Amino acid sequence: MSTTITFDPETLPALQQQQIQRPWRHKPIKFTASIIIASIIPFVVVAALFFTSEIPGAILMTVVYFPLQLIAAGIAGFATRGQRGILDSVIIVTSIGATIFSMVVLVSVIGSLIVRGFAALSAHFIYQNNVYISPSTPLEYGGIGHAILGTLLIVTISALIAVPIGIATAVYITEVRGGAVPYVRFFVQAMSGVPSVVAGLFILTIIVATDGVFEQGAFAGGLAYAILMLPTVARTAEEVLKLVPEDLRTGALALGSTRARTVYRVVLPAAKTGIITAVILGIARVIGETAPLLLAAGNSDQTVVNPFGGPISAVPTYVFNNVALPYPDAVARAWASALVLLILVGILFVAARLIGRGRQGSKR
Amino acid sequence: MSTTDAEARRDLQAAATSNRGDRVFNRVVTAAAFSALVVLAGIAIFLGLQTITAFQSQGLSFITTTAWDINTDPPTAGILGMLYGSVLLAVIALFIAVPASILLSIFMVFIAPTRLATFLTNVIDLMAAIPSVILGLWAFYILNPTAEEWQRLLNQYLGWIPIFENTSGNFLGTPFIAGFVLAIMMIPIVTSVTREVLARTPPDLVNAGEALGCSLWTMLRFVALPYGRGGIVGGVMLGLGRALGETIAVFFVLKIVFEVNWYMIIESGGGSIATLIVSRFGEVSGEFELSLLLAAGFFLFVMTLVVNVIANLIVARTGRLQQ
Repeated sequence: MSTTITFDPETLPALQQQQIQRPWRHKPIKFTASIIIASIIPFVVVAALFFTSEIPGAILMTVVYFPLQLIAAGIAGFATRGQRGILDSVIIVTSIGATIFSMVVLVSVIGSLIVRGFAALSAHFIYQNNVYISPSTPLEYGGIGHAILGTLLIVTISALIAVPIGIATAVYITEVRGGAVPYVRFFVQAMSGVPSVVAGLFILTIIVATDGVFEQGAFAGGLAYAILMLPTVARTAEEVLKLVPEDLRTGALALGSTRARTVYRVVLPAAKTGIITAVILGIARVIGETAPLLLAAGNSDQTVVNPFGGPISAVPTYVFNNVALPYPDAVARAWASALVLLILVGILFVAARLIGRGRQGSKR
Repeated sequence: MSTTDAEARRDLQAAATSNRGDRVFNRVVTAAAFSALVVLAGIAIFLGLQTITAFQSQGLSFITTTAWDINTDPPTAGILGMLYGSVLLAVIALFIAVPASILLSIFMVFIAPTRLATFLTNVIDLMAAIPSVILGLWAFYILNPTAEEWQRLLNQYLGWIPIFENTSGNFLGTPFIAGFVLAIMMIPIVTSVTREVLARTPPDLVNAGEALGCSLWTMLRFVALPYGRGGIVGGVMLGLGRALGETIAVFFVLKIVFEVNWYMIIESGGGSIATLIVSRFGEVSGEFELSLLLAAGFFLFVMTLVVNVIANLIVARTGRLQQ
């Protein structure tokens, strides 16, 4: 189109000079010095206090270090850039503080789970069930095999219900494009805000209303989970279907395909990985929910495989039932099963990330 | 909306209804799309019907008084303490989570190097995925002793402020601990919305501000935060909806008492409507008490629905404005 002017930076000393110097990036000595002093002084003061006094570390950090760091950074900001530097430093220090706070909480949660969970985890803990096990039984016996099976069964049931409906909802929004699209979107969003305990209560009312025909169990638990899973699947699938190029649809229609066939053969396959991500995110959304299962699925120490076979345990409810018991072994079981639950969630999380990364043009 | 758009849609619809298979397909998909409405209506009707029993036996005092004596004759029940308690916990959680989340997203968008910001985004998403029962377990064993010590200190040095009063000497099961746990659940939700909103600040505006000599603070104050205000408020409301409905994490760290704890946030005992349901359900005395719990669930449903609808409207509106 046009001739490209090529030049070698080596041959242009002026340009080379300019790139190296960058006068606007130049920081005066005063700046560097005040930054260093501002970060060292509070640290030294707190370290000195920590070793000389008996104030606990956590209190030192929040009551002494953080305010001291704020003041020091404020002074440094003032020294380098005048009054406007103060607020900048305050923002930087507090935002780093907020980040550290969140990370400390997260590391504490995951770290304590790993440390205490692994202590009680063993091979038989994964596959044995809890029959003949009382809270005081030593850890050599019993396990959460029944609860893991229960979780898998309940999640499968809910996925079988929520995934087709969720994808159909997304298809309605992006493919059929009927007049009710804004309303459907609104209802799906409203549904995503339903608290998990309310989903459980809703199923419970049905159980109570049918009076024995429909019982607590895996199927009821799956229904409660499906209520929570549906909006996640629908919203994610909608986002993915929107990414399918319009040309594919018009192309298929132009070749004489029917609307339904276009969706089955062109649109959904084109969005396959995204749909899988939607399903995984839906499962990850529900797998740790406890309240709906307490109300709808009940509790059992036995291995139950029949969806209608009465009360069934799942990993979250197992954790819930063992947390506050006054027996160390029961509490150890709670930690171990919570670790199992976190590992399940982590697998889903990583799977969604990996698949999502493979998808082109996805920013999330 | 141009006319070609409308025409294209009409053509598509004409094509869609010209074939019998497509008509069936359309109906099935439309029916599925309305399942969300059916479920919402089902919840509202089924739980709403239960409030009739509650109101018939208790009258309006069901939501204006505090009591839970089911086995007396006549039984008295009032959930004011629970309704108010849910709001109090949410307010405490907001006080902790909102500044933390906004600062966290400012750090991720404007301060941290790209790689650290990406890492933090992933970590925050992971934080959102932690099940509430795990947070409850952690709070019960790890947070409780620490929080007890901190609250004791707060009471010792700032006890003259009414909200830090504590008359019982028991610092466990306080609204503050429960609110703190809720804040931990809210931070990832609020942060992810806030971060996205702030990241969408037009670079032109940011650059123009810097060219005019804005410092970081003035840029935030006059460009980024006003630009993202709607989205941030929406994100906070989404987090609030989650906090109001949270059950299990609160169950382990809050001592449920039926009297209203108006303001003493580090006094043992408080209320939460979601937690009331789970804690009473295990030892429910009969059909009457169950229907009272279901009625309480109805109020929880209405509360969270209103908060969520407002949040989604705000988020949707700002999203459209920014496109």
